[in-house]
Amino acid sequence: MNNQRSIIILLVLAYVFSPTLLSWILNPYGSWYRPYLIWAIVIVLAYLISGRRKKHEL
Amino acid sequence: MSFELGQIALICILYLLVMFGVAFSTDKGWIPDAVVRHPATYILSLGVFASAWSFYGVIELANQHGYGALAYYLGTGALFLFAPVALAPLVELARRYQISSLADLLVFRYHSQAAGSLVTLLMFLALLPLLALQIQAVADTLHILTLSSKPALPLSDIGFTFKEVMALLYCAVLAIFTILFGSNREKHRGLITAMAFESLVKLCAFCAIGLLALYGVFDGLDGLDLWLAQNPERLEQLYSASEDRSSHTLLLVFIATAVAMPHIFHMSVVENPISDSTHTVSWAFPLFLLLMALPLFPILWAGFELNIALPAQYFTLGIPMALNSPTLTTLAFLGGLSAATGALVATALAMSTMLLNHWLLPFAGLRLKPDLYSHLVLLRRILIILIFAAGYSFYQLLGGKYGLTNLALMAFIGTLQFLPGIFAVAYWPQANRRGLIAGLNVGGAIWAMGLLIPAISGNNAIALPSMGIVLPVGHEHWNLITLLSLGLNAATFAVVSILSEQSDEERYSADLCGEDELSKPMRLVLDVHSAKEFRQRLEKPLGETSAKTEVNRALRDLNLNNNERRPYALRRLRDQIEANLSGLMGIAIASEIIDQYIPFKLPEASGTTDINLIENRLAQYRNHLTGMAAELNNLRLYHRKTLEELPMAACSLGQDLEVLMWNRAMYQLTGILSDEVTGSHLGSLPQPWQSLIGEFSHGDQAHSHNQEITLNERSHWISLHKANIEGSAARIASGQVILLEDVTETQLLQRELLHSERLASVGRLAAGVAHEIGNPITGIACLVQNLKYETDNPEILDTAAQILSQTERVSRIVHSLVSFSHSGQQRPEEFQMLELATCANEAIHLLSLQLDKDNVIFSNQIATNAIVPGDTQRLIQVFINLLSNARDASPSGSTVHLTSDVGENTVTVSVIDEGPGISEELQERILEPFFTTKDPGEGTGLGLSMVYSIIEDHNGQLSIESPADKTRQCGAKFDIILPRQLATDRERGTTT
Repeated sequence: MNNQRSIIILLVLAYVFSPTLLSWILNPYGSWYRPYLIWAIVIVLAYLISGRRKKHEL
Repeated sequence: MSFELGQIALICILYLLVMFGVAFSTDKGWIPDAVVRHPATYILSLGVFASAWSFYGVIELANQHGYGALAYYLGTGALFLFAPVALAPLVELARRYQISSLADLLVFRYHSQAAGSLVTLLMFLALLPLLALQIQAVADTLHILTLSSKPALPLSDIGFTFKEVMALLYCAVLAIFTILFGSNREKHRGLITAMAFESLVKLCAFCAIGLLALYGVFDGLDGLDLWLAQNPERLEQLYSASEDRSSHTLLLVFIATAVAMPHIFHMSVVENPISDSTHTVSWAFPLFLLLMALPLFPILWAGFELNIALPAQYFTLGIPMALNSPTLTTLAFLGGLSAATGALVATALAMSTMLLNHWLLPFAGLRLKPDLYSHLVLLRRILIILIFAAGYSFYQLLGGKYGLTNLALMAFIGTLQFLPGIFAVAYWPQANRRGLIAGLNVGGAIWAMGLLIPAISGNNAIALPSMGIVLPVGHEHWNLITLLSLGLNAATFAVVSILSEQSDEERYSADLCGEDELSKPMRLVLDVHSAKEFRQRLEKPLGETSAKTEVNRALRDLNLNNNERRPYALRRLRDQIEANLSGLMGIAIASEIIDQYIPFKLPEASGTTDINLIENRLAQYRNHLTGMAAELNNLRLYHRKTLEELPMAACSLGQDLEVLMWNRAMYQLTGILSDEVTGSHLGSLPQPWQSLIGEFSHGDQAHSHNQEITLNERSHWISLHKANIEGSAARIASGQVILLEDVTETQLLQRELLHSERLASVGRLAAGVAHEIGNPITGIACLVQNLKYETDNPEILDTAAQILSQTERVSRIVHSLVSFSHSGQQRPEEFQMLELATCANEAIHLLSLQLDKDNVIFSNQIATNAIVPGDTQRLIQVFINLLSNARDASPSGSTVHLTSDVGENTVTVSVIDEGPGISEELQERILEPFFTTKDPGEGTGLGLSMVYSIIEDHNGQLSIESPADKTRQCGAKFDIILPRQLATDRERGTTT
């Protein structure tokens, strides 16, 4: 019951978009640091979410 | 390029001194709190996760698995990314129950000492490769740095190589550091800051080498792209290697490290110092990992470009050496040293706690030592030395045959075996200890047979002659061994858990762990009834001083006082003592002591859920509830509020007569606060409530009317009503709700009504009697008159005159009685003008009829012009009540004065006595109905309230002044202020 909904949404999104994302990351003609970019985006998202949650709890 | 041994030893010693200095200054409070308590410090201290392997070995992993190597960071990063969900329950548990290690967590949840010992054994075995890895990395890098200088060995004659001597010295220094800063009980702020410092050093070093690789070797990103275009096989290797199935297994292996590795568990769960840090951790730690992972591939490729003659795992050190940069080489070396040091110290600490709590204390009966605390510290210090010794011996045993990656994988796959058990702590309440032990045995055995033993023995196959099969083992098959061990472990765990029964204690712990489960925690019964008794019981296992310290500490933690007797509070006290002892000597020993000396008696009746605990827990997690749960919680709060604010005293009792609810009206009635009584046994209520509620709850009657009790020396009447609360299971009543109704006023009114009814009938009788007496008296008076006319004898005339005066007196009495008993009251418009002095005289006259109370003189000085509109009979009543009160209060022979003051619009009549006066508190209450200071049976407590209401009806005011005689400080004065005109008359007067 505790934040489970957001996880389920995340899993569904990951499932739907993972093939596209993987093929983009693993494209041999792309830059080698593509996985890092995705990673950085995830961190920014996590930062935004945690900031919002803190404000919400205050 | 190479360094002299002296130089490098100096660098090592300086660096370790700086680290000591950081820890020491923090402990001394020299480093500002803003730095020590900053979230960044905590995040960086989590960086112990990145051991020497992530500084050196991970380059080799990248070489073998391409992008698959990122799994090392992504797995752990993902766990922290979901920290609010994945880690928060564990952090919360660790905080609440003082869980200090993974083994403690599992023992707490599965309630089994055997599980704790098994976990510790497996953990110890799994950590040996990790310890050896750190030592090997430091020894190897020292060797690489001093390779060409060929240092002379001071101990060469005893067969130790240079590397081994350096490794041994390094271990010894670190053991001392760990003992100094980590072995006491308090939170290790110094250690955390030192770990943060080492993480910062290794992060800076690794990034610096990454930048050197990028700009010093490839001339920036464009240069690297160009190089990759020229060497397409390198780029291809990234993808082809990661498409291998093993990279998925890597992800699985590394996702578990954050909770399964004891030192990371220690940092992320136990030492978690900031209450809301889980949210910061969720993005900041993955960011740290991102920074640690960024230089990975540039360093690997730069190593190839420079053709470094070292294994890929030491490219981090090889690049600055190849580029002849002594500063960066030193930095790289320090980074690696830092990483190894952090991991070793944290691992040794975590492991020593586990060994102490789960191996040493349970088997070594060391509890009766008089100075428990210093004894435990000593034991821990010895264990720390032993752990370093074991790590070093394992390094010696393997002899540096294996790469860092092989050692790391061996350790990680070993600790991976705990994942099913940890997962079930928070998410699978049905899991039990048999399942855990069976699963760990299966998984651990496969891991040991497949990786650990072959690494030591060098075998790479196990032959099963009976079945004619030869099983390939060893680090080449790590992928298969991982999947097989974890799969079989999890399957065994699940199957055995489902097939076997949980014990009651285990279910209790599982309920405590599963915070989201709205399960019914059992309310167990203690046979200890006070905090003092706790102390006595614990004296035996802990000794007198320790028992006292621990009980007081727990009482302080819970904000309870020494006289606590409530079962609910004592249950919490028991839990708190257990938690504190766990922090000291581990869950297993703590729960063994507590279970033995302060055992729970299992409740005889089923269905006694701990409502208080559920309430408490829901209140704590209120902010975390979402959706349906939040709605249900709001509904619960609404119903609770309804009961709380019910304007009728209500309480509910559990089946074992524990008070579960006590509302506000109940507090107002009994004066007992809800907080004091909730959770206590009915038997601990003060009298008379204990017997009143106790007897009623035992009885068969659903209602019990007008029970008389004495409160503050006054009688009160209470009506009780009860209903059974049906339990959810079967049709067994799980408790009672009892309503208490204070019917004192009704009861008194009823009595007064009866009394006045009786008085009224006496009055009617008296009026009848008076009437009957009147006739013969009139006859007598007539006859005496006749007698007067018929004789001249002066004697007879005198007698006749006396008879006449006596008959007149009798008729006056009769007249007074008849007019007083004249019932009914007039409306204001029917009021007649009357002389207050006459009314007072009439009252005095009636009071003089009470022969037994004629010891007071009434002095009526009311002016004859004190004339007001009013109801004669009721004003006589006013005077009777006031004068009789004054007479009762006055000493014998004193005078009660009646005076008047005729003003323009009002007349004030004062009744002044010489009694003791009325205190200020009594003055406030004296006009309340039924309030009396007279002995029971003497007064009804209605007299003055009647006076007040009659005066009110006459639009007047009543005021009290005491003491009336200021000099002698005695006497009371009642002032009656009455208007000289009716309100309606005044209005008429003003309008005309």
